Amino acid sequence: MSVLDELVAGALEDQRTRERTVSLEDVRKAALAAPAPIDAKRWLKRADGIPVIAEIKRASPSKGHLSDIPDPAALAREYERGGASAISVLTEGRRFLGSLDDLDKVRAAVHIPVLRKDFIVTDYQIFEARAHGADLVLLIVAALDDAKLRHLLGLAHELGMTVLVETHTREEIERAIAAGAKVIGINARNLKNLRVDVNKYAELADDLPHDVIRVAESGVFGAVEVEDYGRAGADAVLVGEGVATADDHELAVERLVKAGARVKASETTPLSEHHGPYWGQFGGRYVPEALITALDELERVYDEAKKDPEFHKEFMTLQQRYVGRPSPLTEAPRFAKLIREKTGLDARVFLKREDLNHTGAHKINNALGQALLVKRMGKTRVIAETGAGQHGVATATVCAMLGLKCRIYMGQIDARRQALNVARMRMLGAEVVEVTLGDKILKDAINEALRDWVTNVKDTHYLLGTVAGPHPFPEMVRDFQKIIGEEAKQQLKDWYGIDHPDAVCACVGGGSNAIGVMNAFLDDERVNLYGYEAGGNGPESGRHAIRFAPGTGQLGMFQGAKSYLLETDEGQTLDTYSISAGLDYASVGPEHAWLKDIGRVNYSWATDEEAMNAFRDLSQTEGIIPAIESSHAVAGSFKAAADLKAKGYDKAVMIINISGRGDKDMATAGKWFGYLTDDQTAALEVTGAHGNTVA
Amino acid sequence: MTNAATTPSGQPLGISHRPSPTEAMFAKFKAEDKPAFIGYLPYGFPDPEVSLDAFRTMVEHGVDAVEIGLPYSDPVMDGPVIQAASSIALNNGETIRRVFEAVETVANAGGVPLIMSYWNLIYHYGVEKFARDFENAGGAGLITPDLIPDEAGEWIEASDRHGLDRIFLVSPDSADERLEVVARNARGFVYAAARMGVTGERASIDASPETLVARTRKAGAKNVCVGIGVSTAEQGAKVGSYADGVIVGSALVHTLLADDNRSPRDTAEGLKLLAAKSEELAAGIHGARA
Repeated sequence: MSVLDELVAGALEDQRTRERTVSLEDVRKAALAAPAPIDAKRWLKRADGIPVIAEIKRASPSKGHLSDIPDPAALAREYERGGASAISVLTEGRRFLGSLDDLDKVRAAVHIPVLRKDFIVTDYQIFEARAHGADLVLLIVAALDDAKLRHLLGLAHELGMTVLVETHTREEIERAIAAGAKVIGINARNLKNLRVDVNKYAELADDLPHDVIRVAESGVFGAVEVEDYGRAGADAVLVGEGVATADDHELAVERLVKAGARVKASETTPLSEHHGPYWGQFGGRYVPEALITALDELERVYDEAKKDPEFHKEFMTLQQRYVGRPSPLTEAPRFAKLIREKTGLDARVFLKREDLNHTGAHKINNALGQALLVKRMGKTRVIAETGAGQHGVATATVCAMLGLKCRIYMGQIDARRQALNVARMRMLGAEVVEVTLGDKILKDAINEALRDWVTNVKDTHYLLGTVAGPHPFPEMVRDFQKIIGEEAKQQLKDWYGIDHPDAVCACVGGGSNAIGVMNAFLDDERVNLYGYEAGGNGPESGRHAIRFAPGTGQLGMFQGAKSYLLETDEGQTLDTYSISAGLDYASVGPEHAWLKDIGRVNYSWATDEEAMNAFRDLSQTEGIIPAIESSHAVAGSFKAAADLKAKGYDKAVMIINISGRGDKDMATAGKWFGYLTDDQTAALEVTGAHGNTVA
Repeated sequence: MTNAATTPSGQPLGISHRPSPTEAMFAKFKAEDKPAFIGYLPYGFPDPEVSLDAFRTMVEHGVDAVEIGLPYSDPVMDGPVIQAASSIALNNGETIRRVFEAVETVANAGGVPLIMSYWNLIYHYGVEKFARDFENAGGAGLITPDLIPDEAGEWIEASDRHGLDRIFLVSPDSADERLEVVARNARGFVYAAARMGVTGERASIDASPETLVARTRKAGAKNVCVGIGVSTAEQGAKVGSYADGVIVGSALVHTLLADDNRSPRDTAEGLKLLAAKSEELAAGIHGARA
């Protein structure tokens, strides 16, 4: 006799005992006379959360005694206050130590649906559930034959109750659906480890009819399982021990409810309007508590500004009159010919010319937007990090224009390879601090900026330069950068009469120019999106900044957000390398991590060599010298063209985002291509301006 | 076959109702009307073996609970002294797997073992696995300088299953709502930063930590300890007059650093200085209310 058979036999025997006191007819009458049930289906599925069915559970055959629960009504009320959508009451008395008395008490105590959980195999038990005020009953497929299942389901439905039909296998699910089940409980526990077996769950729950509510029934203990099940598509969860045995029941339920809401909020579409803090499983706020007040203030001020037409007006006026927007969309026919020669794709190529913005890169879009927010917050001091120097220059520029005190942190290696930009920032009145800690590159500059911010947060704003870091930075920087793609889309239509591009290519360090140019196209499936990371000496060399290729980045928390991260076996951040300072970063913005996971953007990389060849190609075919960062996108366009060709395109319209201009990179390029005499190279060696050595 | 997260019969572990180890410590100190002395040192500094001697030395010379730091490549809450020590430890072969030896060392010496770690290290090691290994080694609780309760779902679950304390931080400009969030989710004690900023010694301590301690208690925290910037016996006595515990880091780390602040001091000399500094601070802190 199996455990289930034993439980059913016991429950049946107990029912017969009760029937000797209260006849079937009496219990039927009581059921019909009971106050109308709540339509529980409406409580078990919602767009903005994962409803929690919290269970009054004293014991179970597998775990024995769990909790005394002397006052089930009080416990149910705590669950309800914590945000539970339904209460499950075990009424089996032998092994679970429950009773109908518990059900009565809970029913009287709460206003949310109540589930009678027992081993139900007779009409009597169904009537009894209703008579005691249950809105839901549990039926276990494994304990019933098809006819019985169909009959009991029908009876419960007739009485206005919802039925949670528990299943363990694909076959049981099919039987449940055939019998007319509307709410299916799926038991997918992997007993070998604690984690919910999401694969097994997904396998079982896959291609269920759309109108069926899926309840994850097993192994839910805390926020981890709610998140796992939620991401695997569960509509609701049932949790027993995790809430029944908690020290603070209300808080335990509240945590589950919050975890569910977070999962739902993290996956909202349209993609182009998605809000932080979470992008799928990525993003968040992995920062010291000391920064939370400042981040909350920033979020609030930004939200107000977003709704204020005056803010938009001021921002757009400055974009036009100070930055020089719109930046043109230039057709590049001679470069397109190169693509055709190399890949066979008959491409029309358009360059989005962020290099023509004031200060020579896209970075000013964001620097300007945030600086205006600084004014609104009434702060007087701005700090920023910079890699290639473009963001530092843009920040120093807007601070000069708006009269804000400005300090820029720059890794010493970057400061050497971009010496000219250091001079520019100082010319603009900014203080430049060369960071000599750690690897002396971008990440170390960010660490120092964060330390400065933690210390001086009262009067200081950290003007983060990319779509990374803690919420609200990824969302806010996206919003300030999305003008790139919006303009490109319009210009393609207005200037060239083309409805939409087939492909958009951008380089990805932190990822702000890529998000900026892609945002307007994220929800248009006709547009293939390509992001190119810094390949350095190639993925096998270990000297690169590729986060997305297999065997490179892993999930981790870095500088405020969860994303992909280059790290050691110990979780220590790995040294990265790229010829381009602006892409030389160990992590990547959380939105990119999400877009990678959902397959919306194709990520690949371009090596130093490929990028430098593209740098030369574009310079010599179109008379446009791209930044080395942008050259990764140019190099990538060949790969994108090959991919389009493989997908069956013969002709294609491609946009490449030229995120910045290459003047700053001439020392590096001059050396790379041997355009300089030995004397000239030696002169650069002395200053360390090519970036390979640090004095 | 069983593993970390299951009972021998293959059932998932439930909530551990092991009493909070640090609360037990504070109860004892409260009965004597004394604050506890919590001392910080990174594990593996200057190398794994010497650091075990150093932890033992601290406990033997008056440190009640040891905050064992896990060295991290990007410690954004730490000032130059702890950055230097962490970097020396990392260069000398520190690994997270062996930090549990430090936990055992502290426990065997009679101290309360705490770990302080940036979150990525724990996340990467595996939160549940860390909690299991930490509990097995006799660990009491984890201090998380860059994990706020809002992001701590997995840690709350794992620490509940293993009966470990959760020590979150608050800072002088934390709003009352934030203090409540922290107090509600903390277990053991709340770590109040004496000032805005990163770790490091300071010549003086202003009045703001006292206000913060009072506000944090009002928000529901049972025990509040103050750290960041406390480096002398006098400061320890001042803070200990109102806080449940006083946390000292950089001043202890300093004893093992050479005068250039970049390399380790001679081991024997360093341990001697560490013992003396621990005693000096312990006298100041434990005598705070005498």
